[in-house]
Formats: sequence, structure tokens, C-alpha cells
Amino acid sequence: MVRVKFFATLRSIAGKREVEIKGVKTVGELLEKLYAEFGEEFKNEIEERRMILVNGKNIDHLNGLDTELSDGDIVSIFPPAGGG
Amino acid sequence: MYGYQGKILRVNLTTGKISEEKIDEEFAKKWLGTRGFGIHFLLKEIDPKVEPFSPENKLIFATGPLTGTTAPTGGRYMVITKSPLTGYIAMANSGGFFGAELKFAGWDAIIFEGKAEHPVYLYINDDQVELRDASHIWGKVVSETEKILTEEVGDKKVQIASIGPAGENLVRFAAVMNNGHRAAGRGGVGAVMGSKNLKAVVVRGHKKVEIADRAKFMSVVKEKIEKLKNDPVAGGGLPKYGTAVLVNIINQNGLYPTRNFQDSQFEYAEEQSGEALASKYLVKNKPCFACPIGCGRVTRHPAVGVTEGPEYESTWALGAHLGINDLASIVIANHLCDEYGLDTISTGGTLATAMELYEKGLIKPEELGDAPPLRFGNTEVLHYYIEKLTFREGFGDKLAEGGYRLAEMHNGVEYFMGVKKQELPAYDPRGAEGHGLGYATNNRGGCHIKNYMISPEILGYPYKMDPHDISDDKVKMLIVFQDLTAVIDAAGLCVFTTFGLGADDYRDMLNAALGWDLTTEEYLKIGERIWNAERLFNLKAGLEPLKEDSLPKRLVGEPVKDGPNKGHVVRLKEMLPRYYSLRGWAGDGKIPEEKIKELGLEEYV
Repeated sequence: MVRVKFFATLRSIAGKREVEIKGVKTVGELLEKLYAEFGEEFKNEIEERRMILVNGKNIDHLNGLDTELSDGDIVSIFPPAGGG
Repeated sequence: MYGYQGKILRVNLTTGKISEEKIDEEFAKKWLGTRGFGIHFLLKEIDPKVEPFSPENKLIFATGPLTGTTAPTGGRYMVITKSPLTGYIAMANSGGFFGAELKFAGWDAIIFEGKAEHPVYLYINDDQVELRDASHIWGKVVSETEKILTEEVGDKKVQIASIGPAGENLVRFAAVMNNGHRAAGRGGVGAVMGSKNLKAVVVRGHKKVEIADRAKFMSVVKEKIEKLKNDPVAGGGLPKYGTAVLVNIINQNGLYPTRNFQDSQFEYAEEQSGEALASKYLVKNKPCFACPIGCGRVTRHPAVGVTEGPEYESTWALGAHLGINDLASIVIANHLCDEYGLDTISTGGTLATAMELYEKGLIKPEELGDAPPLRFGNTEVLHYYIEKLTFREGFGDKLAEGGYRLAEMHNGVEYFMGVKKQELPAYDPRGAEGHGLGYATNNRGGCHIKNYMISPEILGYPYKMDPHDISDDKVKMLIVFQDLTAVIDAAGLCVFTTFGLGADDYRDMLNAALGWDLTTEEYLKIGERIWNAERLFNLKAGLEPLKEDSLPKRLVGEPVKDGPNKGHVVRLKEMLPRYYSLRGWAGDGKIPEEKIKELGLEEYV
């Protein structure tokens, strides 16, 4: 089971701050499951650009969508955002 | 000359003499505007070794060629002077509406010199320029100052840049404020204004900014605004949540400095996040002049009424940096800083230094007397000491000197988390090493905004770079960021446009407005010239590169304790020599003759 945390606009789209998901082996699989659960709007918000962290590490520097997930991992998902 | 008004106002506060000077296109092509103009005049007219609070220091308000135009975010101005905090160059940038109004009044810049005998303000109504008595507003907070002066001149449309009590009392990190909550914040520019007995600059303008090719400019601007509006950050995340959207992002990435950089994740970040601010206190967005982004937050809290912010940096500096989690207290503290005219980052940084000195037993409880103990997490500290330091009362007199001097007084310089005596902003560079190199080499000391490597290293713009990579690619990217930021600043635009625009976009807007035909590389050359000229000023002021292009010991010597960046330090020693070399500088960090010549800086050496 992995814990998935949502931030910014994803919270209002998903209607919650976090979910627990079972039976996914990779980040890619996790996203498919989230898209199925939270629909097009959720998908559109993060399909093009986003930030996904597994235990605080950006998947861009792990294995991207193939990054493997283990029980107890925390996945944080952000829509495109910036500031200064 | 297009884009510019071609005129600079010189105000001698000692003699009361007001005069005007012309600028020509050759000068404009060399320095572009704002900090470019500022560094030219400072290098030409003051001894870089001058005492910052002496009448010999000068205070420059400068706009850029796109200030006052319809270019997206084209409303910015900068205040340039020798910093009383760092002893080096200060160039503080602000938005709001003041910069555009100064331009409409027909002035590209104002140079203040000398010192007035008693408090004064400068009133500008196009070509009518007068120094007026300000004794009756000396001591007033920013909102009152703006209110009284607006009534006094009888024109609701005036724009006002002023200092609060912090600037008057020479708090070394006092800001120049405009539109109530916009700050030319860093480096103590407000304290220099206070040292000159200059309370405010009040401006009203009725002129146009002439554009070389108006039709072309309008179509270029339209295209860039579209780009920004369609950008998911500039057109999405920033307007929706403001800069504080970063609280959770930076915390989750493990570089949200906590309790004076002792930890890198704050257990209560969620409670002070942009999401929390939006749900509890947000009233609406508030854009600056000509801004399609609108990241400003109008907020409301019963204790202070309608206010603005806090921004990401202020939330952190007055929150996690002090171990404080109560968002309401942070909102109020931020409001106080705006009213007193304080830089929030250095205010928080100084308090964080004080708290660690207290924790380590270097500030003794008896030194504080009946005042609240300076314990991390003690919310009482915030409002009490912000007031004390503003008025230099009790222990506040020491806090008003800034974190470095405070730490030095208490034999604990290693607990000062800053660079070149300026307090660091809200990113632990052990989780973004290029950003760390940026801190170490920034001309104005501990500052993120003149080389925002968080963008590529964490946020992924223009593309994602590994935050722990320290290759030449990383160093080169930092140099481009420093030079490009200088161009954007000098143009009179906001750096937040970089989320949606690239170097070529700025070239397009500048060329269309000014009737020039410069390449992107030529603009970046202007940025490089500005960066090097500022460096030259610092070197002449006594900068010792190998000692001062540095980071606090903690960040290079103490690995992060926990979280995603566990075990990392900034490998500054490995990056710095390559930075010097890629900048074309000597191994000792000085600028060699050939570089000076290449950039046309011979007359300033």
C-alpha cells in the first residue's frame, strides 16, 4: 500500500488531501489508477507538466513512470507550480 | 529615444538643489535600466568604501525601458545604493504602481545625494519637483504615511514610495515600501533613505512612454501575454495560490529550512502552506501594474483587517525558520513588517540567529530581562521583537543590526545563516547545489531572486536538472540565470515572467519597444556587464572573494540530518573555481583586465 498526497488544485479536484492505494507496482500504474478514480480533470491537470516525488525524491531522477513502488512509500503529486 | 524619457533627476538633499540630466542611446544600450543605471552612477560617483549611512552614499531610484509600458509586468523599479547590511551593492526591486508613475512623470531615474537637515519628502508632478517638509509624518507607519501624503497633495492618483519607522531608525534591513505592501526589500535600502532624512517620494505623472513601433510592440506584447496566460505556472498555480504554493513543494522536496537551517523539513508546513492561506485568509488576488499573473494576495485577519500576503519567503522567515507554526501570527507579523518597513527575510533571519544563539547559551536569559525567551517555536517572540527592533528598544537595538552583527557580538558567527552578512532566503541549498553556488556568488549576498536555480533544480523550468549534480552544465546555467535576471530587472519587468517566457521573448519586447535590433546574446552581454560591474563595485569596496564567496559552515560541513536530502552538503569548493573560470575571472575571484575590456568597464576600474 502506498500513501498518495495531493497538493494545490489536485486537492479540490480529488476532493481530498490524500489516498491510500493498493496493488500498484510503479508510478505509471499508480497514475492510471488515479486517472480512473478522479477522472479527466485530474488527468488534464498533471498530464503535461507536474512534479511527482517518491519519498521526497523526484521521479525525473529515479526511473520516471517506471519508478517502482514499495509498501509504505509516500508519493507526493503537485500540479505545475512555482513562486519565488 | 523610445522606451526611455531620456531624463534623470538629481536631488541634492544637503543643498536642496534639484537638477536634471539627459541620458542618450549609447548609455541606454550599455546599461539598459534600473540596476544597470544604478551601478553606473555608483561606480562613477561614490567611493565604494564609503560609510553607507554617510551623506556621501547615494540612493538611486531607477526604472527600466519597459516600465510604464503594456509589456507584461512592466511596472517595476529598483532602489540601488551601498548596503548598510552587507557593505556591498544593494539593488532591491519592487512592483506595485510607483515605478510606472515615475516614468509617466517623465523621469527614468532619481539620484538622491547628501543628507537633508530635517525630514523631507520629494514631490514630483511631471516637471514640478519640490522638496517638502516631512516632520509631521516622521515616525508614521507606511499606511498612515501614504494616507496623509495622498490627502496633503490632494490627488488620489499619486504613487508613493516611503519608509516606515524601521528605515528612520536605521534598522540595517529596512525596506522602501510602496502601495502599502510592495517592498524594495533587501539590503537595507530603506535605512539609507532614513539616513538621508528622506521619508517619501510622491509622484504623479501625465506623460506617455513613447514606443518605436507601436503596432509591432502591441502584437509582440499580446503574444507574450498569451504565453503567460497559457503557462500552467504563470497562468495557473501562481494566480491561484500565490507564491506560498511553494511551502508544501519545497518542504516535500526536503529543502524547507527549519529552525535556522538545523532541519530541512518542517513538521507543520501544511498549516502555513499556500493552500491553508487560501482557505483561511485569502480575499482575492492583486496584480501589480500591467501584470497578467496576479500573484499578490489580499488577505484579511481580524487583528489587522485587510492586508496583503504573506508571500512564500515571508511565511517561511516568520514561520518555519523560527519553528513557528501559527499561520495567524505569521499573517500579523508580516503585516507589521510592511507597516514598519522591514525586509521580512532578514527580520526572520535575524530572529532565527537570535534563537539559535539563545538555544546554544550564547544569549543569556538575563540579557533579555523580562522580554519573551528567544526559544524556537515561541510565537510570543514574533510581534514583540519585531516592534522592539524597529524602535531599537532594549534587546531590539542589537537585533536591528542584523543577524551577522548580532552573532558576532555573541561570539557565534557560525550560527548566522547568511552570505556577505545578509540573511539567507527559504531554500536549504544542501538540496539544490546550484542554488547554493548562487547564494555564495550573489552580488548582494544571501539572495535567491537574482539567480533562482530552484527553477531548474526543483521546479523543472526551463527543464529539470538534478539538484545534486555539480557539473559544468549546472554552473553555466547559473551564470545564464544571473545574466538573464539582470536583463529582466534592467528592462523593468518581473522575474516571475520567466516561468512562461524565455530569453528570446524579452529580446522581442525590448527590440519592438526601443527600435533596436539587438540579438539575445547582445542582451545577455548587457546582463553580464551589469553583473560584473556590481562585482567590481564589491571588489573596490573590499570584497575578499575566497573568504566571502562562501556559505555558512553548516551548509558545507553538516550533512542534512533527515529526509530526501539526507547526508548531503553543498560542494561549494568543487564548484566555485569552475564558476570563476566560466565567468572569465581569475582564480582569486577578481576580474581580469581582458574581461573588463571585453565588457567596456575600463572607465570604472
